[in-house]
Amino acid sequence: MSDAAVTMDFHPQPTAGEARPWAFPAPERGALGNGLTVLRCDRPGQQVVAVEINLDAPLEAEPEGLDGVATIMARAFSEGTDKHSAEEFAAELERCGATLDAHADHPGVRISLEVPVSRLPKALGLLAEALRAPAFADSEVERLVRNRLDEIPHESANPGRRAAKQLSKELFPASSRMSRPRQGTEETVARIDASGVRAFYEAHVRPATATAVIVGDLTGVDLDGVLADTLGTWTGDTARPRPVPPITADDTGRVVIVDRPGAVQTQLLIGRIGADRHDRVWPAQVLGTYCLGGTLTSRLDRVLREEKGYTYGVRAFGQVLRSSAPSEPGGATGAAMLAISGSVDTASTGPALDDLWKVLRTLAAEGLTDAERDVAVQNLVGVAPLKYETAASVAATLADQVEQHLPDDFQAQLYARLAETGTVEATAAAVSAFPVDRLVTVLVGDAEQIKEPVTALGIGDVTVVSG
Amino acid sequence: MPMGHTATAQAGSGGLTATEHRLANGLRVVLSEDHLTPVAAVCLWYDVGSRHEVKGRTGLAHLFEHLMFQGSAQVKGNGHFELVQGAGGSLNGTTSFERTNYFETMPTHQLELALWLEADRMGSLLAALDEESMENQRDVVKNERRQRYDNVPYGTAFERLTALAYPEGHPYHHTPIGSMADLDAATLEDARAFFRTNYAPNNAVLSVVGDIDPEQTLAWVEKYFGSIPSHDGKQPPRDGTLPDIIGEELREEIHEEVPARALMAAYRLPHDGTRECDAADLALTVLGGGESSRLHNRLVRRDQTAVAAGFGLLRLAGAPSLGWLDVKTSGGVEVPQIEAAVDEELARLAAEGPTAEEMERAQAQLEREWLDRLGTVAGRADELCRFAVLFGDPQLALTAVTRVLDITAEEVRAVAAARLRPDNRAVLVYEPLASEDTADAAGTAADETDEHEGADQ
Repeated sequence: MSDAAVTMDFHPQPTAGEARPWAFPAPERGALGNGLTVLRCDRPGQQVVAVEINLDAPLEAEPEGLDGVATIMARAFSEGTDKHSAEEFAAELERCGATLDAHADHPGVRISLEVPVSRLPKALGLLAEALRAPAFADSEVERLVRNRLDEIPHESANPGRRAAKQLSKELFPASSRMSRPRQGTEETVARIDASGVRAFYEAHVRPATATAVIVGDLTGVDLDGVLADTLGTWTGDTARPRPVPPITADDTGRVVIVDRPGAVQTQLLIGRIGADRHDRVWPAQVLGTYCLGGTLTSRLDRVLREEKGYTYGVRAFGQVLRSSAPSEPGGATGAAMLAISGSVDTASTGPALDDLWKVLRTLAAEGLTDAERDVAVQNLVGVAPLKYETAASVAATLADQVEQHLPDDFQAQLYARLAETGTVEATAAAVSAFPVDRLVTVLVGDAEQIKEPVTALGIGDVTVVSG
Repeated sequence: MPMGHTATAQAGSGGLTATEHRLANGLRVVLSEDHLTPVAAVCLWYDVGSRHEVKGRTGLAHLFEHLMFQGSAQVKGNGHFELVQGAGGSLNGTTSFERTNYFETMPTHQLELALWLEADRMGSLLAALDEESMENQRDVVKNERRQRYDNVPYGTAFERLTALAYPEGHPYHHTPIGSMADLDAATLEDARAFFRTNYAPNNAVLSVVGDIDPEQTLAWVEKYFGSIPSHDGKQPPRDGTLPDIIGEELREEIHEEVPARALMAAYRLPHDGTRECDAADLALTVLGGGESSRLHNRLVRRDQTAVAAGFGLLRLAGAPSLGWLDVKTSGGVEVPQIEAAVDEELARLAAEGPTAEEMERAQAQLEREWLDRLGTVAGRADELCRFAVLFGDPQLALTAVTRVLDITAEEVRAVAAARLRPDNRAVLVYEPLASEDTADAAGTAADETDEHEGADQ
């Protein structure tokens, strides 16, 4: 390669300097007079403050036939109060330079506020107003319902969303809320009205079962005073702890093709359920999953992307669906969705799945190497200070911990546990997370082209549903 | 390494400072200290993007960016990714019309590794670049194109609208992803020539931001990058300037398998770096940035003719910026009804300007976006490079927000009147092929039959 004549001076790869200490921040936990739990965390330099509110209003609490009411309620929080119309409320929030997002998921409703610290009191006042006295006006709820109905076809058209919807339907029994779309179907959403939203709010939203997480540069902020004037004015009764039903799933190995004639790619989503953060295996599962498909240099992409070029990228991940602590009524009943997802060009669908299964079989037969385990630990532990640079990322993790009934120091401890997890444990966790004969494979793609090659792989019965 | 600015905070910079340096080989270096978190961001902007590509080789800058991760003289295969991730860092690279950037965020004590890696590929990529990497990454990029554009509803809108808004032959007529045919046509020799032409220290800006010792950092930069030879083989990009106004409405209607009708448009706006561009940013925010904007209130709340309606700004320095309108219609609403409402709102802003409250809201929103951008070391490193490469002065990054806050309502009105007009836009209308009954189109799985058959034109 004469044209590659290199004229620069080369130096050996440098060695690392001395690591500077960093720890996941420990929040200060307290409660307001109205029973609202408050976690606060000062992060100097973070001028945009992040506030997360957890409401104990899980999807399974939605009345039968009204799937989506939690979502509509969450959205309606920013559509007017006893003091502001919907348009005024949005205008006042944006005048603070704030953003407010709310969404409903299996564990409950989450509201996320971000605002420059100079306008925190004003924005917290608006948030408190929304929680304390939402208007839920007929006209606004009707509009949100129509808007939601309009969104559904857009979601169905998206191959990734369509695959996720199908996988939930396949894995969970029809009686489980988890088998159905989080934000409802056309049929259920169409039934939602303002009175249904208000009934859900009255049954499940109260300060005594809610938590506020506040993170940012709080230097010079009288947070106690601000909280007393804002979220402290929200009142409500108490509620009994809700038993959390166990999560079951049918992970009999099989393939479902969602037919998209003419699709140039096949969207893959291959999954089952497994351990959540309360399980002792969690750190090993995190490590093993990373080694399998956490990044470009993990086993899956090393073959599927960097050797074969079948894909822009395939990832393996574990995402908690809902969790409860062992001490809760009913005990620890949580689970995580364990999955592999990505998309491959249509013609490569059969070969890509064949390689994917080979990667899983090789992992089970030969295990991870110590070098792989070491790099994974170094990455997962090492990126923590980067990952938690912003207030929003710290607040989100603290709120996740609350939502999953974990101690406030869970994430801090997790880093120590990851560092103690060995190669054998990580291998065992990865293999039991992704057993080759217990995976449900959803393929959104052109059935006419992919059914035959996929059937030939013998990874389970293949059925085709329309798009 | 002369020409060090002093690190004194400028008014309106939020206390952030940056110093500038230049190596003998022409590499510009920007440093910014911040010891709040033990992390350091390294960002390298090469002054080359899709606007530098030639006919028949669209997508080459981006394909080449992928090749930069395939090893260099001292870094084997995927070593760049492996070493950074193994050091607890994160990394990536991106390609746009105007530049290609590469970045690593590292724990402080691993900063030197990132500098060594970037220098190795800047100086010696061709020692490792081979046919095998080229073929593999060509396939990866083609799959990226399929995943992000071709297999998603409305996925090619950006490409189509760009092609409409900038005339044939204009350097911004095509987007960075390029066409499948051109990706297929690119050769290893093209890639080598691209490197030799564009990847030189004097065509790049390096910024290092965070928990750093500036003297030590500069010494490392000199050690690793200092011996890479400069060269001047690069041709300037073709001229991207165009008349202020298109002069007519350009229009394309697409019949495709999409879930709903959509109206998208690109308005020709002032170049980035001008007061008029900041004024346009505020105008678009008032019109379509968020839940209290005029278009959201009009189309989504009041008329209820749209699922979503928004305006965004694509800031460009080497060609007119684009104001990006995106409206997805509700139910069976027809596009002309939406278009009439949009035109009314644009005309009203052009005639009356924004209210004082709207200005306050729009400025507060843009201010928060800037705080977010500058609130991470990686965001700050990227902005410092951006202003150094595109405007020759990284310090401008630290005061960008004050310039937005300085714009008056009258300037917003004026730019709306001058630019947000029907004769200054390219319009793309999507008409779904399938039944218009959205409830049917979305019907879940099982009961659906063949209604989309033959839809793939």
